Amino acid sequence: MIALRQILLLLGKDLRIEARTRQALALVLVLGILIVVVLALGLQGGNARGGLSATAILWVAYLFGGAMCFEKTMAVETHDGALAGLLMAPMDRGVIYLSKLLANLVLMATLAIVITPVGVVLFGFDLSRAPLAFASVVGASLIGYAAIGTLFSGLVASSRLSGGLLAVVVFPLSLPLVIASTQLLKGVFEHGNALDASAMGVIVAFDVIFLTVSWIVFELVIEP
Amino acid sequence: MRAMLLESSIRLNTHAAAGVTDVCIRAERLGKVIDGRMVLKDLSFEVARGMIVSVLGANGAGKSTLLKLLATLTSPTSGRLELFGRPPDGARSRARIGLVGHETMLYRDLTALENVMLTARLHGVPEARARALTMLDRLGVAERAGDAVRNLSRGTAQRVAIARALVHGPDLLIADEPFTGLDVGSCGVVERVFSEFRARGGTIVMSGHDVEQALRLGEHVLLLMEGRLASSEASHRIEASNLRKRIGGRE
Repeated sequence: MIALRQILLLLGKDLRIEARTRQALALVLVLGILIVVVLALGLQGGNARGGLSATAILWVAYLFGGAMCFEKTMAVETHDGALAGLLMAPMDRGVIYLSKLLANLVLMATLAIVITPVGVVLFGFDLSRAPLAFASVVGASLIGYAAIGTLFSGLVASSRLSGGLLAVVVFPLSLPLVIASTQLLKGVFEHGNALDASAMGVIVAFDVIFLTVSWIVFELVIEP
Repeated sequence: MRAMLLESSIRLNTHAAAGVTDVCIRAERLGKVIDGRMVLKDLSFEVARGMIVSVLGANGAGKSTLLKLLATLTSPTSGRLELFGRPPDGARSRARIGLVGHETMLYRDLTALENVMLTARLHGVPEARARALTMLDRLGVAERAGDAVRNLSRGTAQRVAIARALVHGPDLLIADEPFTGLDVGSCGVVERVFSEFRARGGTIVMSGHDVEQALRLGEHVLLLMEGRLASSEASHRIEASNLRKRIGGRE
């Protein structure tokens, strides 16, 4: 109960800071929309309608937007040594991980809610046949992506490594997630298919493994 | 072994005479290696509960690293550290420690009150808002409680940082250059707060560069040179000019 209260306190702190500065969300939304629009224009709209191209373009927006979320939410802790103050609180460092994970998920969910309609307009996605399937696939995929992104954003914040390295590490690690997710979304868009259990299993397994490992390892990577 | 240990230790036991014999900090041959460089070497000392200890030394002598070790923010590479009579045990130890860092450690987009309240709530302090306001008032910054930290001067932010470090009623305050950015009046306020904290049985280990201030506030002075404990003496036995010369000679 105490840990849950601490997670909510830290999540509230991050969301309050974001509500006041609007730094992360504004940038992430602009970037996401730009990616979808530019790729739509580059692929001349109709050529990418439905299918793999359309889902891949959505994923490009999620990947880059997500990487920016990870960096921005952790950057709050690096100004003025705030991270050291947080690490002095009497709580497991996994609490910090889970609160950052939730903050990232809130931002990424907002990104998905905004750019999906843009994709519908530009690429003609048909979500009406299986909206819940679409939401389940995207939701489960973003959880896994946020799990590794939050871990590595902590590592980057604690080291002298540059922020650009985050994407270099996180993108390849997300590959199984992206492949399984794009296959599932292709089916959803083209045929309104029910979810393929084996592909969904890959995403859920990815989520469980990386959430557990990241929660445990975060203790070791985070340093003031 | 025990005899060897006592021989190598420098005991800061002046407070024992006043009846305060509990050991707050016990360090035995502490060492810390960072990026392959030995930053701290073989530090052994004890600090009794209720003392104010000043840690002095030239830049790069290892003061901040030592304070980070004592605050349990990092672990020693070698040696043994005990806080409150036992090895540091994570959250339980941290609950009894307050830290004033080299930086303010505040969130610049939160108000002074929100920053202090956040720490109070994370520590489970009852009536966190009232307690936070009390601490800000003690540090003389209550009238700026509603201002975002980004709009505060360095000195005011530093006083908020000290309020944040003390809001949960710690037993040990680790302060890395706590007087940074403070004007003369603010220094007086912080010195008074430190004295009150000590009078209630709190222990303070602080670093700084102002020799006179260190001797005036600290009952004991630990002098670090190139990561080693060069001396440990009661403040009243130290000549300020000599100490300044020893530190300056290394800078």
